[in-house]
Amino acid sequence: MNVLLKSATIVDPKSDFHNQTVDILIEKGVISQISKRISNPKNYKEIKLDNLHVSKGWFDSSVSFGEPGYEERETIENGLKTAALSGFTSVVLNSNTHPVIDTNADVSFLKTKANGNAVDLHPLGALTKESKGVDLAELFDMKSAGAVAFYDYQKPISNPNLIKIALQYASNFDGLVMSFPQESKISGLGVMHEHVTSTSLGLKGNPSLAEELQIARDLFILEYTEGKLHIPTISTAKSVELIRAAKQKKLNVTCSVAIHNLILTDKDLVNFNTNYKVLPPLRSQSDIDALIEGVKDGTIDMVTSDHNPIDIEHKKVEFDHAMYGTIGLESAFGALQTIFTLKKTIDLLTKGKERFDLQSSSIQQGEKANITLFNPNQSYTFTKDNIVSNSKNSCFENHDLKGIVYGIYANNQLVLK
Amino acid sequence: MSELSVNHLLGIKYLNSQDIQLIFETADHFKEVINRPIKKVPSLRDITIANLFFENSTRTKLSFELAEKRLSADVINFSASQSSVKKGETLIDTVNNILSMKVDMVVMRHPNPGAGVFLSQHVDASIVNAGDGAHEHPTQALLDSYSIRERLGSVKGKNVVIVGDILHSRVALSNIYALQLQGANVMVCGPKTLLPKHIDKLGVKVETNLRKALNWCDVANMLRVQNERMDISYFPSTREYTQQYGVNKALLNSLDKEITIMHPGPINRGVEITSDVADSDQAIILDQVQNGVAVRMAVIYLLASKIKH
Repeated sequence: MNVLLKSATIVDPKSDFHNQTVDILIEKGVISQISKRISNPKNYKEIKLDNLHVSKGWFDSSVSFGEPGYEERETIENGLKTAALSGFTSVVLNSNTHPVIDTNADVSFLKTKANGNAVDLHPLGALTKESKGVDLAELFDMKSAGAVAFYDYQKPISNPNLIKIALQYASNFDGLVMSFPQESKISGLGVMHEHVTSTSLGLKGNPSLAEELQIARDLFILEYTEGKLHIPTISTAKSVELIRAAKQKKLNVTCSVAIHNLILTDKDLVNFNTNYKVLPPLRSQSDIDALIEGVKDGTIDMVTSDHNPIDIEHKKVEFDHAMYGTIGLESAFGALQTIFTLKKTIDLLTKGKERFDLQSSSIQQGEKANITLFNPNQSYTFTKDNIVSNSKNSCFENHDLKGIVYGIYANNQLVLK
Repeated sequence: MSELSVNHLLGIKYLNSQDIQLIFETADHFKEVINRPIKKVPSLRDITIANLFFENSTRTKLSFELAEKRLSADVINFSASQSSVKKGETLIDTVNNILSMKVDMVVMRHPNPGAGVFLSQHVDASIVNAGDGAHEHPTQALLDSYSIRERLGSVKGKNVVIVGDILHSRVALSNIYALQLQGANVMVCGPKTLLPKHIDKLGVKVETNLRKALNWCDVANMLRVQNERMDISYFPSTREYTQQYGVNKALLNSLDKEITIMHPGPINRGVEITSDVADSDQAIILDQVQNGVAVRMAVIYLLASKIKH
């Protein structure tokens, strides 16, 4: 599709036009010209939007949809549309479907379903068969079909020998192993962060110790195996410390943090609102401070929305019975801008691809156009009207956010609200 | 006449000290009523109350039912074992079905913390929390404070220790809030495994030695160990628990002063409390039970007076 973006401010430090307001001509999916003013002799579609800013396309390393098996939560089609309208041109999809994505055929199904979409979908394969934590899934075979890493979504591998073997085995083909940081015997039946708020609500606490113990274990095993480990969605101050130390030791480890864990605390749960029931749980302000420091100094490699649509039947119930998870794609940009500068926000939204061996582009003449369009200055209160997902379980509902997304241009397609 | 600041009784943490004062003054009146030959008043003849018990209860259920009947309310009882809950109906649907039969008030016991709060957000009735998981049991805390006030003249300035399984106890939490609102000093005492790790942040003293705790206090509220709520063993044996956290007459006699002993029931004689203590004048356990009816009458009466017909 041929498009002329008018008066777009480029936010891309790698571009020659960084911080400049220019016209951008895109022909057949490629940026053919960037200039102060471009005329439109061929009468291409012109895009003029209020305070239009563009960056290279955003990336999210942890989203869940539900198809196959949980289409009532989200379908691949609407999930990818949600991603596009939230600014994401590339998402890594968790394997938490029914059945779990644990074979070459399952991965191929997802790739086929998403084929031709503006958004690139990169499936994760389950690390163990049916994500049961017992036997390794066919990791190499899934990688051949396009799985970018191996992860039992939010299911801790309790057997340390299994994670040892996984790290050793995957290193044969440079595979990336992911391990959910939670020691399940310590977390027990905890449903929120263990602290004074859990005590005052009578809800069982999930102590920070559960996460830190598992990370410490995995880092020891990583050092022994010399494998390649990604720890998704860390949430405590000490976890940041542990990973910082591991990186100083040059271990091949990366980690992410969920955006809501950078902004919301356990105190938000005082009314038993199940939209705040997430895993890892919302923790304390001191954890948030340490996590933000970790993001700033690079200890934390990427942020994620950890987008997880849950249907109302599994959220509008007693807190103990509600499922974990929040949607996050739609609010990601607006939420990040409440704590980071625009420059840092865009940096974070475009980081992490290389860890999954995915190509990254830049806004340059001659490059493939993979672009997010947004207005960074508009403040608003996030409501259900801002939600594209089939499920409406957002922990940012009624929160004040900053910055709206217009859409994306990617894979030769323009997707705008 | 003044009224409560709330439309539901979901927990003590949602009340203020004037609310508690009002409940106690109203309970004084009802206590006088229930000691008359004719123990009934016609106050709530136009009110229908549903007692929904999704968890076993004997004394709380009886106490509420008696309180409701002495106020002349129409009462229906419902317990989970007879219900459609086991068929997969949601809590909101269950309650809305009952409310559609023109019920004004719901007294609910439920195993999940926050169930009362959740219900109050989604259904149109006045909710009284009769215990929600390990969250709150507000009427128990009110009757406990009422009983302290009756025995010692006031709650303010008194040292009260809550002994036992604090981790799984809604009674402990509601008592902490109620006692603090009235200006008492609160301590919790028990094995470290049964004390929430961050409970000191609620402004209570924490003690693991029972003798020290008893020496400090004016009142000891002995809680039952809630074995049914434990996923693993938090102490090696009942025998060993009793050795450290059981109150017996010899221990009480060795203290410098005579303290008041309370227990929310049901008591496990010989475990947290020996018979000679439970049956002594120091214990006000049966006074608590009697006061429970008066306090619950007061709560229901005050909430009913806020219902707009």
